[in-house]
Amino acid sequence: MLKLTNISRSFAQRGVVLDNLNLEAGMGDSIAITGPSGSGKTTLMNIIGALDRPDSGDILFRDASILSYSSDELAKYRNRNIGFVFQDHLLLNHLTIKENIMLPVFAEKISEKEYADKEEYTVLLMERIGITGLKDKFPFQVSGGEAQRATLVRALIAKPAIILADEPTGSLDSKNADLLGRLLIEMNRDFGITLIVATHSHDLASMMGLHLSLDDGKLKG
Amino acid sequence: MTKNYLLRNTLRSLFYYRKDYFNQVIIIALLAAIITGSLFTGDSVRDSLRKSSSEKLGNTGILVSTGLRFFDSSVSDRLTSEYQLNTTPLLETDGYCQNFTTGATSLNISIYGITGNFFSFHGVKDVEIPRGTVAVNLKMADHLGVKEGDEIIIRFRDADPIPANAPFAPSKQGDGSRVMKISKIFGTEEAGNFSLGISQIVPQNLFINLQDLQQEKVPTFRVNRLLVAGTEGLSESYINDIIKETLIPSDIGLSIRKSAVTGEHEMISDRVFIDSAIVRCILDNIPEGYPVITYLANSIRSGNIETPYSFVSGLPASEELNITDDEIIISRWLAEDLGTNSGNEITLSWYHPVGNLLEEREKTFIIRYISDNEILLSDPALMPEFPGISGSTSCSSWDAGIPILMDKIRDKDEDYWDIYKGTPKAFVSYSVGKKLWGNNFGPATAIRFHGGTDRESILKGLRGNLDPADAGFTVKNILISGEEAATRGVDFSTLFLSLGFFIILSCIILLSFSVSIFFESKKEQVRTYFALGFRNVKIARLLFIETAIISIAGAFAGAFLGYGVNMLIIHALNSVWSGAVQTDTIAAGFNIIPVITGFVSTLLISLILVIIKLRSYLKRLEGHKDRAYKFHSSRINIILLTVASAFAVVVTSLSLIMQNPSIALSFSGGTLLFITLVLFLRQYYIRRGSGFSEGINGLYGLSRRFYSFYPSQSVTPVIFIAAGIFAIIITSSNRQGLTDRMLLNTGGTGGYLFWSESAIPVKENLNSKQGKDEFGLNDTDLSGLEFLQCLRLAGDDASCLNLNHIKAPPVLGLDPSSLISRGSFSFVSTIDADDNKNPWSLLNENINDNIIYGIADQTVIKWGLKISVGDTLIFRSENGKPLKIVVCAGLESSVFQGHLIVSEKNFRNYFPSVPGSSVFLIDGDQDNADQLKDLLSSRFSNYGLSVEKAAGKLASFFVVTNTYLNVFTILGILGLILGVAGLGFMLIRNYDQRKKEFALMMATGYSSSQLKRYILVDQVIILVWGIITGTVSALVATLPSLQSSGDISLNLLIIMIVSIFSVGILILFISVSRVGKTNLLLQLRKD
Repeated sequence: MLKLTNISRSFAQRGVVLDNLNLEAGMGDSIAITGPSGSGKTTLMNIIGALDRPDSGDILFRDASILSYSSDELAKYRNRNIGFVFQDHLLLNHLTIKENIMLPVFAEKISEKEYADKEEYTVLLMERIGITGLKDKFPFQVSGGEAQRATLVRALIAKPAIILADEPTGSLDSKNADLLGRLLIEMNRDFGITLIVATHSHDLASMMGLHLSLDDGKLKG
Repeated sequence: MTKNYLLRNTLRSLFYYRKDYFNQVIIIALLAAIITGSLFTGDSVRDSLRKSSSEKLGNTGILVSTGLRFFDSSVSDRLTSEYQLNTTPLLETDGYCQNFTTGATSLNISIYGITGNFFSFHGVKDVEIPRGTVAVNLKMADHLGVKEGDEIIIRFRDADPIPANAPFAPSKQGDGSRVMKISKIFGTEEAGNFSLGISQIVPQNLFINLQDLQQEKVPTFRVNRLLVAGTEGLSESYINDIIKETLIPSDIGLSIRKSAVTGEHEMISDRVFIDSAIVRCILDNIPEGYPVITYLANSIRSGNIETPYSFVSGLPASEELNITDDEIIISRWLAEDLGTNSGNEITLSWYHPVGNLLEEREKTFIIRYISDNEILLSDPALMPEFPGISGSTSCSSWDAGIPILMDKIRDKDEDYWDIYKGTPKAFVSYSVGKKLWGNNFGPATAIRFHGGTDRESILKGLRGNLDPADAGFTVKNILISGEEAATRGVDFSTLFLSLGFFIILSCIILLSFSVSIFFESKKEQVRTYFALGFRNVKIARLLFIETAIISIAGAFAGAFLGYGVNMLIIHALNSVWSGAVQTDTIAAGFNIIPVITGFVSTLLISLILVIIKLRSYLKRLEGHKDRAYKFHSSRINIILLTVASAFAVVVTSLSLIMQNPSIALSFSGGTLLFITLVLFLRQYYIRRGSGFSEGINGLYGLSRRFYSFYPSQSVTPVIFIAAGIFAIIITSSNRQGLTDRMLLNTGGTGGYLFWSESAIPVKENLNSKQGKDEFGLNDTDLSGLEFLQCLRLAGDDASCLNLNHIKAPPVLGLDPSSLISRGSFSFVSTIDADDNKNPWSLLNENINDNIIYGIADQTVIKWGLKISVGDTLIFRSENGKPLKIVVCAGLESSVFQGHLIVSEKNFRNYFPSVPGSSVFLIDGDQDNADQLKDLLSSRFSNYGLSVEKAAGKLASFFVVTNTYLNVFTILGILGLILGVAGLGFMLIRNYDQRKKEFALMMATGYSSSQLKRYILVDQVIILVWGIITGTVSALVATLPSLQSSGDISLNLLIIMIVSIFSVGILILFISVSRVGKTNLLLQLRKD
């Protein structure tokens, strides 16, 4: 489903970060990418999520190269296929938790019926993740763990093919980190979503089906 | 070491943040440029006025003037030879001229009769005006369209020493008119723009050889001005003293002659009557003198028998004339003619001048005795040298200046004239004569000296004792007066600082944004300082030093840029804004003082702002208080909105319904509407914040949700834009234009149709039958023609058209009775507490000797003269005495702007030599105004009459105010545009603070164009709402102006709205374009 071929990316200040990197992920895979700080984990996640472009190489999603996409097509690609979970929950303080979760829904014009379906799905997901009571609260009114779970729901709202989680537990205590890790695996399993997690956490990495290490710009098994 | 570290740190920071600092430097430089430019403009205008004054005066330092009187030009020669002064005499007279070929006319001109040394006096060598030719300055040449060699017709008032309205002044007094060739056209360097008046306006000058202005072939000339070069070592009192030393009787028209009959010497005046001050002076210095007054009686009657046109003398009591006030001595010839005798009564009748009318008066005397040719009583020299009578060969050829009924003159009267000439036929005591026939021109027609007093002893007695002031001389350091008038004139520094208020305000707001953005950008650095244990003071110092260096750089650059701004303003003042200065001769000048003042004041403003911002910034960071999220209650907003809108509707409706809506009511309505619209916008945003159940549908709902937490971010720019537009429209609505009310009797025209001025004064009473006959205005069609005639004493225009500070405006003398009966003009202030009393009536009230009341336009009182109602202006009356004019009332804006008005009675009393009316308010048939104007111009063509609609005259004064308002509007629009640029800054600031939000949105599938729309939509709403709020509320607030004069410039309004909208949109798009350029991904990482 996802194939990265000979991806290279370098930055003026940091030099070569990704060097002819190759990665293949099938539907329902769960992959942990570990590596030291500055090894290029976030860069790799951003490239997969079409938030950044490689200097060379190709990215095929369902056999189509996303590098040929226009800006709008890339936005659509992200909206429909990618769910992001970041280290910082990145919820918008002026929106309620439910509205934050539904943020990707507003990126495209939808009918009232579709909106109602999405709203229903949101409630369902929130129940599933255990944050139903937060729907009308604002981010500044909830805890970090709750906020991060809301982020996970937001990543799932568009029923994406891939969830990219960049240090999702980095800001959480061990209890919440464990809970989030388990939820991620549940979603991967129950919805068949491909899960790619960049993390320093061995506990989280150990929950994934495949553990790769990013070193010298290359992924090693 | 620490200092080095600080310096290095500061310099590196300056370099690192150079792009952020650049904005600040630009804004501070702009602020400094506006402030310095305004200061420069004030200096430039002042310098130009000084330069203009100095150029016009040439080498003149001190002016000696006798007003409407004359003195002998030899005074100038004596001052030069005896006191080594550089002087030149001059005759300044009224007149007008016309291009002989094209008929183009210059009415408002200055005619100078000059001697050979006039130009050399001014340092122009080898220039003289040949007799029979004239020279004009460039301005007049341009106006008339003439060149050297062309011919022009000039008409001017002859230098006749007898005031035209003095008793028995000949009716055919000479107003010269001749065709002359232009021999020279002079520029500024050749003293072409010479002027003794205080005004920035270049005069139209005509120079003529003094000999061509006088008929008599005499070696010296009558002049009325004497210019003294320079002022160094010369004071007014010194000049006055040396004139007193050198003044001899003949200088002021006094001559000595010897009576062939009595052998006595007597002093007579070429003005016929001798001023009371001169009489007193002569009698004080020569005790042998005694005054005589001789007058022409229309008739002397005894019963039914009458002797026409006889001279009667008033002589002091003596052995021969020991009579009471009711007694008279008559000649044997008269006694026989009347068939009367001692002890009988006779009645004298005579004409007494009252204003410009002659009133016949009479008095009955008892004959004390009949004179049989006693020496004194048979002296033909007792008759003064009446110009129209003295040289006549017969009574019937008299030009006595009074109506002479020729059919009354008998052969025996002609015989008497042939034999005895003007020998008086009757004698009364001098005290009675003085009382009956003394007038504003003097109480005596001669001073006689007893027996042994010869010419030499008379001259000796008066040498050094004739007070120049008594003869009307005034001495003024005109160079200093001119400089003072320029220095204290309209202050363009303050004016342009006020007019540029919006630009300055916008700069300050922009600077405030810029400093905030800059401090925000240094948040991490400052947090690091906090973490490392730097004290607040130290951090503040580090940031302050950086911003201070930036402020200094900006202020320094701007202070010099201010000169460029000044040049732009001066260019505009000389062209598109010339209405404000009435000239195109203002020059931009460089002076270091505005640079220093502009630099220091900008630096102060900037540093104070930085300090305020720095304090709140550090306090906030130290307390870790980032933006607070809080809900805003819409309940209070709804209550406020409801109350404001209800009041707005009620007040606005009232102002619409009322027939004469008050300005205050409309303004209140507009202001309430303003508040309503702002609250409405606030409600629009905060309603979204509390209405969670509705959810958010779509992109724009998301955007609005942001503002529901920060309504001030939407309301503040709306208030800024709206308040700017509101203020500009409100100010523009003060543009003055003619309203129907101004045409009413109570308005600024006084209800008169025309304002008219004549170059040559008109002596006739134009409302009388004779006056109308004289000028052919007696057609029945013209029966409605009504004149208000004003005598005018020349002065410096004190209207808003003159930028100089004026102390002596032109004085108009008028009869206020017609104004009272018509209810003409309105007053805004008066010293009289009695509201029912018409202030015009105050003019005829007598306060004291040499103290009278005057009235002027309130604007002239306040701005031109810089005094208040109740204050006193000091003039010099014709007899040299100070005349205090107490300003008793201030007129609402009127056609009289620039003048000071006194009663005709007082005017004639203190300025008797003014020969007639020069200013007229004329009423007539409005429907035939154009024909009437042509008719009047034609009938008074010999007087150089200019006729313009009174409404037009009034409107001409509006040009200055309206130009100021235009300047304010244009600078205001520029300021607003600059302020809208501030919106862009605010947006960038907003954008920087919301980068993470945008990054997240991109990550969740929003395209950059969606993000741009997301940001733009509310900014556009804010911009448009600001424009709507400001425009609509201002239009409501200015309803009275719209309804009455409708003088809000629609074009300007449209230009303002379009430019603010266009610039706003442009700035918004430029700001938003950063979305696509900034790497938002960095924001997705944890701080």
